[in-house]
Amino acid sequence: MDDANVPLVEMRQIEKFYGRVHALHDVNLTIKRGEIVGLLGDNGAGKSTLIKVLSGAVPYTSGQIRIKGREVTLRSTNDAIDSGIETIYQDSALVPQLSIARNLFLGRELRKGSALLDRLDLDRMNEVAAELLKRVGISKNIPPTTPIGSLSGGERQAVAIARAMYFDSDLIILDEPTNNLGVAETQGVLRFVREARDSGHSCIFIAHNIHHVFQVVDRMVVMRRGTIVADDISPKTSTIQDVEDVITGEQIAV
Amino acid sequence: MTEPEPAPARAAPMTRQSALRRFIARPEFGPLVLLIAMVSLFTVINPAFASLTNIGNALTFTVELGLIALAMTLLMTAGEFDLSVGSIFGFSPVVMWALFNAGTLSLPVAFVVALAVAFFIGWVNGMFVTRLGIPSFLVTLGMLLVVRGTALWVTNGFPQRTWEAGDQWLASVLVGDFFVGGPGGLRVYMSLIWFIVLAFVLHYVLTGTRFGNWIQATGGNSGAARNRGVPTARVKVILFILSSMMAAFAGIISSIRVSAANPNSGTGYELEVIAMVVIGGTVLTGGRGSIIGTVLGVLILRLMRNGIVLIGVPGLAYNIFIGAIILSMMALHAGLERRHNAGT
Repeated sequence: MDDANVPLVEMRQIEKFYGRVHALHDVNLTIKRGEIVGLLGDNGAGKSTLIKVLSGAVPYTSGQIRIKGREVTLRSTNDAIDSGIETIYQDSALVPQLSIARNLFLGRELRKGSALLDRLDLDRMNEVAAELLKRVGISKNIPPTTPIGSLSGGERQAVAIARAMYFDSDLIILDEPTNNLGVAETQGVLRFVREARDSGHSCIFIAHNIHHVFQVVDRMVVMRRGTIVADDISPKTSTIQDVEDVITGEQIAV
Repeated sequence: MTEPEPAPARAAPMTRQSALRRFIARPEFGPLVLLIAMVSLFTVINPAFASLTNIGNALTFTVELGLIALAMTLLMTAGEFDLSVGSIFGFSPVVMWALFNAGTLSLPVAFVVALAVAFFIGWVNGMFVTRLGIPSFLVTLGMLLVVRGTALWVTNGFPQRTWEAGDQWLASVLVGDFFVGGPGGLRVYMSLIWFIVLAFVLHYVLTGTRFGNWIQATGGNSGAARNRGVPTARVKVILFILSSMMAAFAGIISSIRVSAANPNSGTGYELEVIAMVVIGGTVLTGGRGSIIGTVLGVLILRLMRNGIVLIGVPGLAYNIFIGAIILSMMALHAGLERRHNAGT
């Protein structure tokens, strides 16, 4: 089943009700391997519900999800992580008080010795973290024991993306990764996203700033009122104005 | 990625300097300085403060609150706190001695039952906080009243007898004493040994284990921890249980030492314990905690109580000093925090 033609993720007829609110309606979405998909839509269009379903944070009411052709049930974030889906939320990706290394391995800590002692292998964790920081290009003077709280917004995104790459997630979902970042830092984050794609990871990229999305994605998916209204807009053949019209409902499709 | 490595000759003094700076910036630094200053001041004014007898006595009373403070440090690092510890401190020995005096259970079994009751109380606290999402302030305030009320109701307000404790092995394991350096030397109670052992164990848990990483992450950013699959609710429930059981353990030790299980004992301890923990640099809102800091905080408050009496300050003025220490320590931690954030 694991051949390259099988899509990485297939969501079929996903429905989600929050009480009586119909948050997702007949959502069908396919993500191929090694592609960056921009997920766009106005506030309340259903983007965040969709990614919460895909990351196991909220249960869906009905529908099917296949990953690499195999049907899965995502009941928890651990299910999603085990299926190779890593979500980087804008405010809740990292713990500011913990060091870079401790954040990188949070929930997947390396241990040594008897399991009874539950002992962290901090040396190894710091070693791997330093290596990883060098690879994403923010090693300069930042030791892996630095608390996340003293990093800039761009460096934090870099750490979060590096973590997803290290754990070999097939799909990295980035929720507003360029929010509150300066110009240079935004370019840095977009570079990491491309690097992730070039090393074979797929990405779902969510951002309000359509310019950022245009710079990095292979195709764009637009949601409106809980459903997908356009699913294959190419940044090469469409303009930003076209996409904005689809988001607001001025135009049915491109 | 292709930056040249910094020249080692330049790098070495830099790291040494920053190691010193890191030491000063540590949350434990302020309390350490305060403790040293306090001990020196008391000793200069009244040399009896540094005598073996006085230190032995001060350490004995220290550990009962200190044990609770150790557990509270972990709970507060995970972002919660427990106001019911003082009432459990009074209630658990009542349970143990009532069962023992009634002749139904042997002392060790009654001890285990009392700890099991404390386990249950902590579990209920944790469930209310994690399942129902009620702030721990309200949950544990309610529990404080329930537990204290039960202790008073069960005993009709009278202390339970404990004087058959003398020949019990459990009593000597918990509070037996011995002299370091022969008779007349430093008198050490077993309870102090328990405090030291548990301080080492919990320091290791907080800093060296995966569970400790989860505790810090739960208090620091519970959303991020959950997204990484950390069972934050389970972490909190376990720590509520730990805090309850430690309060029971401390209460039982105290009841054997003073030969009375008073249903009113431990009143107000919850606030003194929280004061010890925050003086040591643990943050009330969670994410950062230090057992070393808590040990310093425990020593500061208990030696302060002991010292101001010895240097002739009226004992009733004790709370003024405690309040002033809390306020100045909070100001110091806030200042360090601000400088830490600005400097990066």
